[in-house]
Amino acid sequence: MSQTDPRIDWEAIERSPEFQELIAARRRFVLPATIFFLAWYIGFILLAGYAPDFMAESVYEGLTVGYCLALTQFVMVGVLGIMYLRRAEHVYDPLADELARRALAAPPADAPAAGASGDPSGVTAR
Amino acid sequence: MTLIAATNVEALVIFAIVLSITLVITYWASKRMTGAEAFWAAGRSISGAQNGLAISGDYLSAASFLGIAGLIFIFGFDGFLYSVGFLVAFLTVMFLLAERMRNAGKYTIADVLAFRLRERPARTAAAIGTLTVAAFYLIAQMVGAGVLVQALVGIDFSIAVLITGVMMLCYVIFGGMLATTWVQIIKAVLLMTGILVMSVFVLERVGFNPVELFNRAEANTTAESTFSLGPGTFLSSPIDTVSLGIALVLGTAGLPHILMRFFTVPDSKAARSSVVWAMFIIGGFYVLTTFVGFGARALLGEEGVAAAGTGGNLAAPNLAQFLGGGEGTFGGDLFLAVIAAVAFATILAVVAGLVLSASGAVAHDIWSNVIRKGHESEHEEVLVARIAAASIGAIAIAIAIIGGEGLNVSFMVGLAFAVAASANFPALLLALTWRRFNTAGAVTGVLLGVVSSIVLVIISPKVWPGADGEGGALSFYDLANPGIISIPLGFIGCWLGTMLSTERGNERQFAELHVRSETGLGAEKAGVLG
Repeated sequence: MSQTDPRIDWEAIERSPEFQELIAARRRFVLPATIFFLAWYIGFILLAGYAPDFMAESVYEGLTVGYCLALTQFVMVGVLGIMYLRRAEHVYDPLADELARRALAAPPADAPAAGASGDPSGVTAR
Repeated sequence: MTLIAATNVEALVIFAIVLSITLVITYWASKRMTGAEAFWAAGRSISGAQNGLAISGDYLSAASFLGIAGLIFIFGFDGFLYSVGFLVAFLTVMFLLAERMRNAGKYTIADVLAFRLRERPARTAAAIGTLTVAAFYLIAQMVGAGVLVQALVGIDFSIAVLITGVMMLCYVIFGGMLATTWVQIIKAVLLMTGILVMSVFVLERVGFNPVELFNRAEANTTAESTFSLGPGTFLSSPIDTVSLGIALVLGTAGLPHILMRFFTVPDSKAARSSVVWAMFIIGGFYVLTTFVGFGARALLGEEGVAAAGTGGNLAAPNLAQFLGGGEGTFGGDLFLAVIAAVAFATILAVVAGLVLSASGAVAHDIWSNVIRKGHESEHEEVLVARIAAASIGAIAIAIAIIGGEGLNVSFMVGLAFAVAASANFPALLLALTWRRFNTAGAVTGVLLGVVSSIVLVIISPKVWPGADGEGGALSFYDLANPGIISIPLGFIGCWLGTMLSTERGNERQFAELHVRSETGLGAEKAGVLG
């Protein structure tokens, strides 16, 4: 059902170094962040399941270890959310916007990416 | 005579006000209903902040508000475990799906699968996953609404279910996604305001010192009390706790009514910011729920347990009545009525979102693209969607009334999350990221995820309580939450189906989907509402 835009050579874009750079940049943050949050969360769940006495220990009067660790999960969600938002705005969006701009401006398919940056404007100006 | 006496007049008046506001919104939205894009995706005109509120309104069900406050009241810490899972789940949504869904899809999650896989089998499988999740979740919410309204307002259970169902269908059929979105936004504002006011009232009683609140909560227990500041009182089996936790953190990323919300924003940037908005709103909500739950324990104590009903669902409204001055006082009755109306609005917003996503699976996926193979007009698709919504709503109302209060609400919500995590999530994630993935893999994965979740729940001890209250149909299987088995099965199904099938050659479509989902190139543009 892909509604292909004939101007766009998707496979060429996917192979392009710019696209690979975007994927790699995103992965550099998302992959470790996902592993971290899943590990921290599952660790918390494992402690709640298998170490209930430790989780019930009091840190300060009625405040338990479990409650404190639960609050760290809330902090983690907020911090990772903001970190990702900033990174996306400053790093991924500019890369993606540039890719989209070039793909729509460039002539289709056969023209290599390097050739497109030659001087097409001289032709269209006439 | 008895009916009048048992009816809470303040609650009726406030319910009527809330319902009138939502109907005005629906009328306004119906005037702007221009076609399929307006019906399914509100013309992609919702801003990031608005969508963040709407996601919160779509997500925070009565199970989150009354259910978790009640669980914390009765069991203490274990109730809070649900909140943590429900919240952390949004990191899964943000990192893996939100922006990609917006870039790749149109109206339903099946659009994303059908983009690169063979259309009819892929859409059918995704529609089955969507309808299964929506069915369990919808019936659970309808039963919850009936029980709640009956207890708080004094209207009969069946009539309460009927009113809920009719309102929900009004929003969806006449106002589509636009009305549903604004009902969800208003509900989120009402719910956040309600729980904030309650928390301030509770904290005021303990000199704004949360630690003092925990101490008083712990002090207010008796020998037979199940309440504890540590884990293990409600979720007594460790492996079950882990299984539930995993289903919660991955299940949200497979809930069709939540994922559908990402199609209502203009672009992937707005989709991303809406998740962050939702995270902060939902996170704040769950922190406040602990004040309400522990506050109910500290102020109502063990005597309040019987009055709070099954699962402690009425702990929050009862606490509101206590904070307002107690039973029989004007302040007490008024606060109770306000919180009851907030809870009712909460349910309405969730069921409307669920019906809309289910009608999307029937009308957009099955009817337009499987049966009519895309030859239908946009006008016909919206008409079919309205008929589908009415039928789905009617069936849900009927099941809720016939099954009645006996249907276990938390059990069905748990099942919905298990199916979402085991069937929808693996197929969506792999369709977006795994080049080799194919149609057979998607169909096998979704079916295995749906079937294994349901079968494992059917043989679980929740359904087959033995003479001693333990033990399931099979003596060696005693897991109440199937996630830890069914989620890996969903992924294995996707992998095995892919590997066993000879289907190849969708590399070009994957390239298009890959580029489109990562860059937004060629994504559905924001439309114009009438």
